[in-house]
Amino acid sequence: MRNLFILKFLNNKIGWIYVGSGILFAAAIILGLFISSVPVAVEKIIQIIFEKTLHITWMEVPKNEEMIIWNIRLPRVILAFCVGASLSLAGAAFQGLLRNPLADPYTIGVSSGASLGAVLVIFFQVTIIGLGNFTLPIVAIVSGFITLLIVFGLVRLSSRSLAIETIVLAGIIVSSFISAIVSLIISLGDRDAMTQILYWLYGSVGMRGWEYIQLIIPFMILGTFILLIHSRELNAFALGEEAADHIGVNVKRGKTMILIGASLLTGASVAVSGSIGFVGLVIPHLVRLLVGPNHRHVLPLSFIIGGTFLMFADLLARIVIAPRELPIGVITAIIGAPVFAFLLIREKIGRGQK
Amino acid sequence: MLKIQNVTGGYSNNPILRNIDIEVQNGDFFALLGPNGSGKTTLFKLITGQLPIQKGKVLLSGKDISSYSKLEKAKKIAVLSQDTSVSFDYTVEEIVSLGRYPHQKGILKNLSKKDWHIIEEVMELTKVTEFRHTQFRKISGGEKQRVLLAKALAQEPELLLLDEPTNHLDIKHTFQLLDLLKKRQEEKGLTIFSILHDLNVASLYADRFALLYNGSLLKVGDASLLKEVDTLNKIYQVQIHVQPHPTVPKPQLLLAPSLPNSTHSTFFKGNYKINNNEQFVHVQFQKPLRTISNGMVGNGIQWIKDYCIFSCKQYSTIPPEEEIQTIMEQYSITPEQTVATIVEGNIGDVVEVEREIEDTKILIIVTPTKMNEKIRGFNMMVFMDGYFNEGALVNSLLIATKEKMKAMQQFGMDEANETNEALYLAVTQKGDKSVTQRAVEATLREMVQLAVKQVYQKEKVVV
Repeated sequence: MRNLFILKFLNNKIGWIYVGSGILFAAAIILGLFISSVPVAVEKIIQIIFEKTLHITWMEVPKNEEMIIWNIRLPRVILAFCVGASLSLAGAAFQGLLRNPLADPYTIGVSSGASLGAVLVIFFQVTIIGLGNFTLPIVAIVSGFITLLIVFGLVRLSSRSLAIETIVLAGIIVSSFISAIVSLIISLGDRDAMTQILYWLYGSVGMRGWEYIQLIIPFMILGTFILLIHSRELNAFALGEEAADHIGVNVKRGKTMILIGASLLTGASVAVSGSIGFVGLVIPHLVRLLVGPNHRHVLPLSFIIGGTFLMFADLLARIVIAPRELPIGVITAIIGAPVFAFLLIREKIGRGQK
Repeated sequence: MLKIQNVTGGYSNNPILRNIDIEVQNGDFFALLGPNGSGKTTLFKLITGQLPIQKGKVLLSGKDISSYSKLEKAKKIAVLSQDTSVSFDYTVEEIVSLGRYPHQKGILKNLSKKDWHIIEEVMELTKVTEFRHTQFRKISGGEKQRVLLAKALAQEPELLLLDEPTNHLDIKHTFQLLDLLKKRQEEKGLTIFSILHDLNVASLYADRFALLYNGSLLKVGDASLLKEVDTLNKIYQVQIHVQPHPTVPKPQLLLAPSLPNSTHSTFFKGNYKINNNEQFVHVQFQKPLRTISNGMVGNGIQWIKDYCIFSCKQYSTIPPEEEIQTIMEQYSITPEQTVATIVEGNIGDVVEVEREIEDTKILIIVTPTKMNEKIRGFNMMVFMDGYFNEGALVNSLLIATKEKMKAMQQFGMDEANETNEALYLAVTQKGDKSVTQRAVEATLREMVQLAVKQVYQKEKVVV
């Protein structure tokens, strides 16, 4: 029975795509841990991970190598995965919900709110007592949520039914307003603050440590769970809200839940890593080209492939001009834009042939 | 199945519908008719719950519709609307499987074996199986509508609401879709409540009808509702004429454009010309007239410009249509709007009689058919400048025949005539509809008598 299931799974194209993305995922982790300015042998890496997680020791590893792998590289790789997966999943959900292939996690303004929070913290150099180093991400998440509430309030005041157009418009209004404030703060700041803010805005997953992973994980799990259980509703929305209502979907609740889930993912990602562009736009498209638009597969695959993509992007950011680093947002855009263009052209050619 | 009781509702401050009462029985095909803006779609939105009901109740299977949850409702009611756009490249199969949404169970909500069975069945039924893996966006409008119907049927509804389902479809796809629905109604007892724009299509498929106008219900009833021309004229403000369908026992409506029209044509004088010799009579009008006749070509009720009678020595074995075609070519008469008959013998001189009664002008043209210098029969063409319904046409036809027989007997010819006679009755359908039938009939009698008498005189038959 089980074998039959596996056989059926492997006979199916989508099954192979899951397998393939799993292999890529593993490769990205290993390469991410292995390649760097200080190379550490693979067996040592494995030993470190086993020792730290399962307390199994079979060989001695120098303390400094252990430090590099466990305290610097592994958190970095995992954070890259979390952020990429979250942004890409949120992007897929936003595109499905808003029925617009150009939507991305930043469309409805949550990320701008989170950025504003972070920029304020950097600018005023405040530290909230009891939060310490967590001041920045937590303020960012909170301000992201405040922004979501403002957007919702605007939508609610102007349209009772939470119309899609109104959501997009309200998001654009709020995020342009916030961007203006961010620019204002940058122009008011001194050189030092300005560099720091700009660097943060470019986005990075480096030098964050385990604390940031602990911070993003609960939001990521909750948001992912909410979105995954709403994949059928996302499919139904493709017919339009009215038709979705006719087949029994609770449109208002579904829409609210999907917005909350995607905003959780976006807000938490921006809070820990700054705004990294292009992942949330391109990866869902790529996945749709591979497996079709059914959200039952688009959502989990966007999650895995998005995370894997960002791990590779981070790897590139580290090694291209080593020992210096490129901002990861630059890498995602430099890879993402041509890939996106290629996909568009290929799709057009494919259509012409049919 | 569905009971709409005294319902008032619409957009918040401005109820579009007032006090609607409709009951749709189990297994009915119920058509909701009415012009644009009469509130048909609003009524549907009140049923589906997209707009609030302000007063009254909608009962579904005896239970208040607002007491159903969304999922329960979707198991009972499916909706097919006029145009649905689908974002992203979903395949036909994926669209159809969305119809199983209200039935899916469990935490994972995967499609069960039963779900697949039903999806296969409805795809087979709507003939979309062959393109199940094609993207929805790439199929034609008619196919899309069939796919969406399959999706609606996959819900296994008891009641199907259709909002102008055939709006953008051509005749073929319209009838295909409605045939499918009708079959489903008859086989599975599916109740159908449909907004239809085309009254003729509605007449052919629906069992019961409701007429909405300006937010209130004007009439509810069976197909005879479509015979109420005055009501329909008022609502649609179009000239409507009712006709029975030639093969289906349902009424069909014919519509007339409201073009600027001279009410009365300058009557026949100068508008027609007669060519006539021993071989033929050809009366040609400039404009066609509605004609009822027993001609060999152009018979029944038709619009005719050329009225012909040809003579022959003896009927040949060639089919008359072909023979007439050759003769008409000989005289260069165009065959499009022509009525023609062949009679045995020679054709005598034409007699014209003209009268006017209550503004209705009547013209009779009579020629005898002669054989061996004896009158064997009369060919008669009656032209009337006025509006006559079909009953009046048949009546006039009878009167002309009867009166001709009477006159023939009176003027001394009682032998049964074996040659066939042509009788054409043509009307302009213009002018006042309120002409007194009685007066016209009396005049007609008089004129037929006179015409026959004149023919006898002309042919020097002693009366």
